[in-house]
Amino acid sequence: MTEQTTPSAPPKMAARHVNVFYGDKQAIRDVSIEIDNDHVIAFIGPSGCGKSTFLRTLNRMNDTVAGARVEGDITLDGENIYDPSMDVVQLRARVGMVFQKPNPFPKSIYDNIAYGPRIHGLANSKADLDVIVESALRRAGLWDEVKDRLKDSGTALSGGQQQRLCIGRAIAVEPEVILMDEPCSALDPIATAKIEELIHELRGRYAIAIVTHNMQQAARVSQRTAFFHLGTLVEYGVTSEIFTNPREDRTKDYITGRYG
Amino acid sequence: MTSPPPDETLTRRIPTDWKGQAMQRRIAARYRAERRFRLIGLASILLSAGFLAFLLVSMLGNGLSGFTRTEIAVKFDFPRAPMVVDPAMLEGGNADQVLAGANLPVVTAQAANAALGEGGDALISSNAWLTVRDAIRDDPSILQREAVLSLPASADIDLAAKSQGTAQAEAAYARLKQGGHVSRAINMPFLTASDATDPTQVGIWGAFKGSLLTMLVTLLLSFPVGVLAALYLEEYAPRNRWTDMIEVSINNLAAVPSIIFGLLGLAVFLNMMHLPRSAPLVGGLTMALMTMPVIVIAGRNAIKAVPPSIRDAALGIGASPVQVVFHHVLPLALPGIMTGTIIGMARALGETAPLLMIGMRAFIASPPGGVTDPATVLPVQIFLWSDEISKGFVEKTSAAIIVLLLFLLGMNSIAIYLRNKFEKRW
Repeated sequence: MTEQTTPSAPPKMAARHVNVFYGDKQAIRDVSIEIDNDHVIAFIGPSGCGKSTFLRTLNRMNDTVAGARVEGDITLDGENIYDPSMDVVQLRARVGMVFQKPNPFPKSIYDNIAYGPRIHGLANSKADLDVIVESALRRAGLWDEVKDRLKDSGTALSGGQQQRLCIGRAIAVEPEVILMDEPCSALDPIATAKIEELIHELRGRYAIAIVTHNMQQAARVSQRTAFFHLGTLVEYGVTSEIFTNPREDRTKDYITGRYG
Repeated sequence: MTSPPPDETLTRRIPTDWKGQAMQRRIAARYRAERRFRLIGLASILLSAGFLAFLLVSMLGNGLSGFTRTEIAVKFDFPRAPMVVDPAMLEGGNADQVLAGANLPVVTAQAANAALGEGGDALISSNAWLTVRDAIRDDPSILQREAVLSLPASADIDLAAKSQGTAQAEAAYARLKQGGHVSRAINMPFLTASDATDPTQVGIWGAFKGSLLTMLVTLLLSFPVGVLAALYLEEYAPRNRWTDMIEVSINNLAAVPSIIFGLLGLAVFLNMMHLPRSAPLVGGLTMALMTMPVIVIAGRNAIKAVPPSIRDAALGIGASPVQVVFHHVLPLALPGIMTGTIIGMARALGETAPLLMIGMRAFIASPPGGVTDPATVLPVQIFLWSDEISKGFVEKTSAAIIVLLLFLLGMNSIAIYLRNKFEKRW
């Protein structure tokens, strides 16, 4: 089932036999997967297949959902993130997340980016913070559009700009992994193209996992693709192979639009 | 009976006659319903505005005269008056004591009789000598000469001046007016003094300060406790039978009649904890019990209304739960919490019943110096004055109501200003 790629380095994150339950309902069944530093991995699959749930277990955002329970091992640099000694707050700083709906804080653009570095004490002075904000906004491809109005509210930006602001906010705390949960589903094609371009540029610097409904997007932005169906990982492999030569019939049916 | 083949039911169209009579009637009825509803809404707005206008007009009509008083000019010839006061004794802080023993009531009565004719002492207030005392204290040099002082008129004359007096008093007032002795002045003592037995001497300051102190205690207790309770219940408390029970209890608490809270305050704060009777501290504690559930309920609703995406965003970059609450949830919920607080505090400000139970209805002739001094509050003062027999209290009652309404207005304005300020920041 799982294709054994031969990684030169140990994987950034690895999930081994993960099961997730919401109360009595099992949402994820025995999923094992690896997220590498130099790849973008796309999670695809029909609605309700558990891909978002799985993504949220990777930085323990599911902890906030009442009745959610995770079994199995998920490691970050070999450390089990569900170990009681793991600090969730630090974990989420190391494994950042971008959400489906752009959710900037109702604060200024500057404060949106600066919030993470501030709470983690990454900047010693105002000048340091200015540098962090500028570099995060540059990497998020937003600097030129907002450099003259950093004091404006983040919620006054357009949807696509808001989403890039959220990406900038996530990278401002220098995470090691970025999880993106359908980051373009609320955006128009032009804004989507900009985000995809951004993902290309961020690749290599961060390990990136992206959940998407859009098959073309998965094909465009990712090097590895994982296909989920009904809570199980059906197929996982190099993106070009999944899309041109899927091994499983269910994968083939899905990517050719037979169902989903 | 055979059903038609499915494709026929799908393709068959029932023709709609958009221009037909029945359709036109339906459209006309729809417009009528719209107009009717709008008129009913307008009528209810007008009705409530009418009630409000009636209240304001009648209060202002009755009460504004309570802020003025009638004064009678009386000439004093201090060097010849039957009193011995050493001006040197008036230096320092005990001038009032010295003057209290200086036979001033008799001096005042004699001066009044001399200036206004026989029976003149009955035309001025029985406490008019206090005005003389204050004049001497402020300027001891008048003891060496003649001076004309404006003394407050007696309650009867004051009423007659406001055309509410008896026939006898009206006649006396007419004579005084002919003699050019009377004048109208702002009743400063009403704004600076406390309760008294004589309506010409009463003041609202004591009750005002009592209300202020009571509200302060209420706010300082109920706001933080209410907000923290709301935050805990919304953000931290596990969802189980216990929290459900607490929620139901809080909702019930908000609906408990206020007199019950008064009895509770009497039993707990006075009988068990032996806190001072009639004190703003106890009043504030009792009111805080009453206000807290309102703040908790409003606070929980405001916290619930903060979009979960904001919480996700903050958690997603590694904010701890406390940071999420204090950096994001609370600031966003604050305007809503403050609306609830305004409602709760306004209710507490107008509350009388629980304060009667803890002794804040006592006759208190001096303003409270602190939260443990005996005091009364504005609504209780209004209640007490409305119960007085003397007719002079009628306008004082209305004047006190005006003061209470102004207090309320001021408090709400501050709260709304603060709320808007917080809303703008976000």
